[in-house]
Amino acid sequence: MTAVARSWGRLTLAGKILFTVIPILLLLTAGLVLVVVLFGKPIVDFLAANIWLVRFIVAASAVLLMSVPTAFLIIYMEMKVIALMNLRIGPDRVGPFGSLLSVVHGLKVLMKEDFSPTGSDRLVFTLAPVVVYMSAVMSLLVLPFAPGLFGADINIGLLYLFAVGGLTVVGLLMAGWSSFNKYSLLGGLRSAAQVVSYEIPLTLSVVGLLILTGTMSLNQISLNQAGWFTNWYVFQQPLGALIFFIAATAEGNRTPFDLTEADSEIVAGFATEYSGMRFGFFFFAEYVNVFIVSGLFVALFLGGWNAPIAWPEAWAIHLTFDPGSTGMGLLFALLLVPPILILALAAPFYVGRSSLPWWQALIIGFVLFNVLAIVVVGGWAFISLDWVAGLLWFLGKTYLFVFTFVWMRGTLPRVRIDQLMGFAWKWLLPASLLNLFVTALAVIVINPR
Amino acid sequence: MTAAPPHGQREAPSDDPRVQLDQDAGVFEPVPPYPPRTEREAEFYTLGDGEMFINMGPQHPSTHGVLRIVLKLEGEVVVDLDPVLGYLHRGVEKLCENADYHHSIAYLDPLEYISSLFCEWPGVLAFEKLLDVQVPRRAEYIRVLSTELNRILSHSLFMGWMALDLGGLTPILWSFIERDEIAEMLAALTGQRLLYNYLRIGGVNGDINHEFMSRLGDWMSRATNQIENNLGLLNQNEIFVRRMRGLGKLDKETAFRMAVTGPNLRATGVPLDFRRAHPYSVFPELEFDIPTRDEGDCLARYLVRMDEIKQSLRIIDQCIHKMPDGPVMAKLPRLLRPRPGRAYAAVEGPRGQYAAYVVSDGTDQPFRMRIHDPSFVHLQSVGVLMPGHLIADAMAVMASLDPIMGGVDK
Repeated sequence: MTAVARSWGRLTLAGKILFTVIPILLLLTAGLVLVVVLFGKPIVDFLAANIWLVRFIVAASAVLLMSVPTAFLIIYMEMKVIALMNLRIGPDRVGPFGSLLSVVHGLKVLMKEDFSPTGSDRLVFTLAPVVVYMSAVMSLLVLPFAPGLFGADINIGLLYLFAVGGLTVVGLLMAGWSSFNKYSLLGGLRSAAQVVSYEIPLTLSVVGLLILTGTMSLNQISLNQAGWFTNWYVFQQPLGALIFFIAATAEGNRTPFDLTEADSEIVAGFATEYSGMRFGFFFFAEYVNVFIVSGLFVALFLGGWNAPIAWPEAWAIHLTFDPGSTGMGLLFALLLVPPILILALAAPFYVGRSSLPWWQALIIGFVLFNVLAIVVVGGWAFISLDWVAGLLWFLGKTYLFVFTFVWMRGTLPRVRIDQLMGFAWKWLLPASLLNLFVTALAVIVINPR
Repeated sequence: MTAAPPHGQREAPSDDPRVQLDQDAGVFEPVPPYPPRTEREAEFYTLGDGEMFINMGPQHPSTHGVLRIVLKLEGEVVVDLDPVLGYLHRGVEKLCENADYHHSIAYLDPLEYISSLFCEWPGVLAFEKLLDVQVPRRAEYIRVLSTELNRILSHSLFMGWMALDLGGLTPILWSFIERDEIAEMLAALTGQRLLYNYLRIGGVNGDINHEFMSRLGDWMSRATNQIENNLGLLNQNEIFVRRMRGLGKLDKETAFRMAVTGPNLRATGVPLDFRRAHPYSVFPELEFDIPTRDEGDCLARYLVRMDEIKQSLRIIDQCIHKMPDGPVMAKLPRLLRPRPGRAYAAVEGPRGQYAAYVVSDGTDQPFRMRIHDPSFVHLQSVGVLMPGHLIADAMAVMASLDPIMGGVDK
């Protein structure tokens, strides 16, 4: 055994990983630098000429990357909130307050066996979760998160969203058909019937809003609702908002309309035969869908990224501070301010309590400094950057609605399939038509051309 | 062991059982592999136009244990069904016939694991009739007290399961709080949380103790409020009530024909309660009403049970106040040898009539032991109630009859 092998054997696992990863990273960096040096100019020229390509790649990757943490967060939220409603403790082991449990679940489904049952149609069986997940992720593209922060501002954004969202049912039907299981088949057919029925009131409920706005671009609809919260369309279209909310619950297959995966009736519906990451895709897609319908509701009816109050211009705070303008001073500040502030914050604790060791005082100082830095930087961003404030408002409102969906799941039993269909055709459809006619009439009476 | 040939170029001899197994694995048809034994079986396992079988259970989430039902569906409507029993068969009757009288009480316990005390009681009563034992009055009161607690436990679990089968997640956990408090109470009294083995021939195993009484008093002070709280989750829920009303209607005649007893019968308007109709123990001395409903549907069955919880609370209250002092066990010989004869005893349990029929041949073991279990009897009315309903309603009907598979398969 050589000396190198002996030393390698003595390393801990973390050391082995470090010693493997760091050379690889170094090599990759060197390769990248080499590529940039050799071919930098033509690549930059090409990208500058085709800026749409850059935009597309960035938007697509951002949306794809965003979907997974969103799903994790909503899954954790659902576990914890329903647990508290059930008077349980819920997840509390992995991470602070169990918040990493959904991440661990995600890793678990990744590691499970990739299994497909006998008699299944392998190709369709494999494609179904991909279709479902992709339709969910593609819907995220047109959601306006903040001013200037969206995947694409299509002028038929709403239509695109309904069209792409409708693809979900194809995936569910594929899953139900290809699983070679009667429970799956029933689930798939139920989902087809349900989603197709509820798509009609869902679409009709926003037609009244479209008459008011005159545009299908979600970005424009959000812009129209700027100012005080009385400008939000929920006050002009209360019935439409209600119908939209109910139909969106059914579209997202959430309780009380979660018949496609009614576990006490048809086991798990279309997902009965799925396991591992294929099931994970269905699972993620469901929660991304919850986020999308909540976000869509917020963008359409609750003002999107707009704050509920319009600050009078006289009260507005204008921070003219631009970090870029300080030049080299910024670097020095970044270098010097943290240690000085940490020491300054730690000093009172060290002086005030004689029993405190110096390193504990330093840790306290470090934590306090971090809190302070987050507050200062976040506050600065909130005040001076439009999109940060917009994103916070949008996410806040959206998660309020996500919470409502979770709340309904904790509270309500499931409706029956005939009650579900009857409700869609006998109540929601006439109500949405009524909403449409009343809106059209009001527009003609109030604002004749 | 020879190495397996590579996949794809395997020569498959048609008579090799392993190869056939390989091909058929995972493909399951609910049709039995043997030719039909009865006309009914032949008729059921012949598919009509547009019908299909679906195999529900024994590992289905909502079949309350290991019941297997083969459903014949047309679309989602249940046309016909064939319950397949026996997945939990333990031969309790035969076990009792090979144990002496004291031992067989322990075998009666796990019949219906939600209401164990009610499974012991008829057996113990029948043995006492055979032996001509006079049970001390304090023991009788303790029996009534502990069994009424068990009835509340069973009914609150029923409420949770009912909601769970309709898709509600929360009520089951709220009712488990109730159940857990009573289980702890009975554990303090009997030493066990689930299978109590508490009743004895001629009395009970041990007097009530301080821990039991303190837990009971603590719980009684807030029981009414707690139960009202739990009921508020469901009774005013529009979805729940709309799904349950008019579902699985059982009329009086059918109920009598199907030998339905207990809350399921009282939900059809018949005030038959064995505590009043054939009084046993100290029930003649206690005041309580017999809640009935006239509708006979799932909602009525649910509401009757919920009303019974309140009546049970009344009985418990009276038991605590009226309980006399004295011994809790009658004086009995070490070895029980009843004279040859037969005895029958029935009690009113949370699901209906629990009964035992014992034949003695003069030895220290029962010659024949027959157990009448309400779950089994109620399960046969599923065949009348389910057809014509959707799958979702079929599960609700099942849940509203409240069968426990341990009692069905014995």
